[in-house]
Amino acid sequence: MRSPRTLEVWRLGTVNYLKSLKIQDKLVSERKAHQIPDTLLSLEHPPTYTLGKRRTDHNLLIPQSELTKIGAELHYTQRGGDITFHGPHQAILYPIISLRSIGFGARNYVETLERSMIEFASMYGVKARPGNKCETGVWVGDRKIGAIGVRITSGITCHGLAFNIDPDLKYFEHIVPCGIADKEVTSLRRETDALLPSEEVIHKQLITCLANAFSYDDVVWKEDPSVILDTKDVE
Amino acid sequence: MALTLMLASSRIASHLRISLSHRAFSSVVLKDLKYADSHEWVKIEGNKATVGITDHAQEHLGDVVYVELPDVGRSVSQGESFGAVESVKATSDINSPISGKVLQVNKDLSESPALVTSSPYEEGWIIKVELSDAGEVKKLMDSDKYSKFCEEEDAKH
Repeated sequence: MRSPRTLEVWRLGTVNYLKSLKIQDKLVSERKAHQIPDTLLSLEHPPTYTLGKRRTDHNLLIPQSELTKIGAELHYTQRGGDITFHGPHQAILYPIISLRSIGFGARNYVETLERSMIEFASMYGVKARPGNKCETGVWVGDRKIGAIGVRITSGITCHGLAFNIDPDLKYFEHIVPCGIADKEVTSLRRETDALLPSEEVIHKQLITCLANAFSYDDVVWKEDPSVILDTKDVE
Repeated sequence: MALTLMLASSRIASHLRISLSHRAFSSVVLKDLKYADSHEWVKIEGNKATVGITDHAQEHLGDVVYVELPDVGRSVSQGESFGAVESVKATSDINSPISGKVLQVNKDLSESPALVTSSPYEEGWIIKVELSDAGEVKKLMDSDKYSKFCEEEDAKH
C-alpha cells in the first residue's frame, strides 16, 4: 500500500522569465533534499522567447535587436525542445516533481503532460492529440495548441508545459515554433466557440487535469504567492 | 517488439557468454558491468572505465536526439552530472558512476545521438575515464542488484 502523494500548487500570476528560473532552481534543490513535496507552479510570462539546450537560434526569424522593439525578451535555457514563445493569456505549468518516486522516465513524464493538456482541451469540446514522433506537444489537427520543454536533473523535473488560451499569435510569426516549419500555432480561443470562463478558473482546471493525470491523492492550494516570490535569495 | 528485444538480448548474451532470464518487458542488463541508481553503467578495465546509460534508461527516455558531451580532460565525480541527453523535448542529466578524469568522449554521438538508443552498451558508450578512486566501485550495484532495482522502480506505477 503506497503512501499518499501530495502536490503543492502555487499560482503566481505574471512572473518574469529569469525570476521563474531562479524560483525553480531553488525548488529543485529543496525537492532533491526532500524538504518539500512535489510542487507545481502555475503562471504566465510577459512576452518572452526561449531556446533550449541545443541553442537553435536559427529558428528566430528576426534579429535579436528587434526584440525590444516588439516588447519581448530572449532567454537561453537548459530545457529540451526548440524555440518557443511565452506571453500573456498562455497558461504555463512548471511541475517540480520527483520522477524516481513514481518510477517514471522522461517519456512517461512527457506523455502524461500531453495527456493533461488533451484532457483539459476536451473540457471545451476541443479534440486534441499528442504529437507524432519528433513532434512532442499537443495538436488540434495540424495546429499546435500546447508545447512542452522539460529538464530533468537527479530525477527532479523543471520547466514544463505551455498551453495557449488566447495569446497574441502574431508573436509566433517571428519564429519557427518548436523548429517545425509549415505548421500553425493555435489557441483554445480559436478552437472553440464555448464561452471561456475567467483565466483564474481556466488555470485551476488545467492544474486539476495535471493532478489527476499524475494520480495525486491530495492537492494543496498555497494561498500566499509572496512566500515564493519574495524570498531573499530570489531577486 | 518484445520478441525482437528478446532475440537481441539473447544474441548479446551468447556473444558475451552470459546467461539471461527472459521476463516479459525486462530490459537488457549485462553481467560484467556495474550500475548506478541513476541508470548509468560502467565497465572497469584496470584503472580505466567506460561509461554509458543502460538499456532501461534508454527505453524510458524515448529516442535520443542530442547528447551533450563533456570536454576531454575535465574531471568527473561519482554521482555528479557530466553531460545530458535530449529526447521527447526533455533534457536529462547523465551522472558519472565513478570519479576521475575524462580521457575520451564518443564523438560519433554528435552526428548519431541515436546510437545511445540503439546500442546503449556498445556503440552508444559516452565517455572513457581514468579512475581516481577504484574503491568507489564498491558503492555501485552488480547486475543482479541492478535488475532487481529496475523491477522495483517499474512497479511503482
